[in-house]
Amino acid sequence: MDEQKLIELAKAGDRKALGDLVKKYTQTIYNFAYKICRDKEKAENTMSETFFSMVKAIHQFDGNSKLSTWLYRIVVNHCFMLARADKSHLFNDPETDEGLFDDRYFTDWSSLPLKNVENEELRRVLDDAVSQLAPEYRIVFMLRDVEGNSTEETAEITGLTIAAVKSRLHRARAFLRKEITKAFQK
Amino acid sequence: MSEKKVTCGDVMNHICESLGEELATQRCKEIRAHLKECTCCQQYFESVEMTIDFYKNYNFTASDDVCKNLLKKLNLE
Repeated sequence: MDEQKLIELAKAGDRKALGDLVKKYTQTIYNFAYKICRDKEKAENTMSETFFSMVKAIHQFDGNSKLSTWLYRIVVNHCFMLARADKSHLFNDPETDEGLFDDRYFTDWSSLPLKNVENEELRRVLDDAVSQLAPEYRIVFMLRDVEGNSTEETAEITGLTIAAVKSRLHRARAFLRKEITKAFQK
Repeated sequence: MSEKKVTCGDVMNHICESLGEELATQRCKEIRAHLKECTCCQQYFESVEMTIDFYKNYNFTASDDVCKNLLKKLNLE
């Protein structure tokens, strides 16, 4: 059954259709939550909260945006709430990092041993780099680059202007590139 | 034709649009031309693309138990 039909049935109270929609987006939302929260338990809780919100508010979904956009908006709100509540982490703010565009990071990446690196090593470097990125930058990077939402959709999901999305994305990319270059140049 | 010559700084600022979005405007065409000629910007562009590709392929999957428990909690079994 196509998604539009499932949404109509779910809005009319069909529990089976609602379950099918939850199943369809479980892995997408879990993967997104995990990459933002960096913690299995937090990712599971964020995913549960997201689908609780979806079930509660599906009748309000107006269809003006894609269901995935609407779900991303919910999960992003939960991720932001969690990040605000968690005062134990200090994140790097690319807005104040003047060294992002330093010449030494404009290296020829073909000279770095990336292609020979075991997946686990690359994962560790990426994990370190992404976990250092402030959540508001991480979320934009994830939505736009990794999940493949358009700039306009990312703006709609986050409530940012298109210019702010581009600016955050630009700086998040530069920050990650800098951190990965640094790690492999060691 | 834009009067101002495209600089590396312009390329950095427009790298957003040049990754995965259509480059149709005159300004973007000039940026593409600059990218062809400038090694520094090419390296930047390639490194950003590689960073994104790495992260796209780095995924986490919820276990079957997690999925079942979710449906149970939502009363949608």
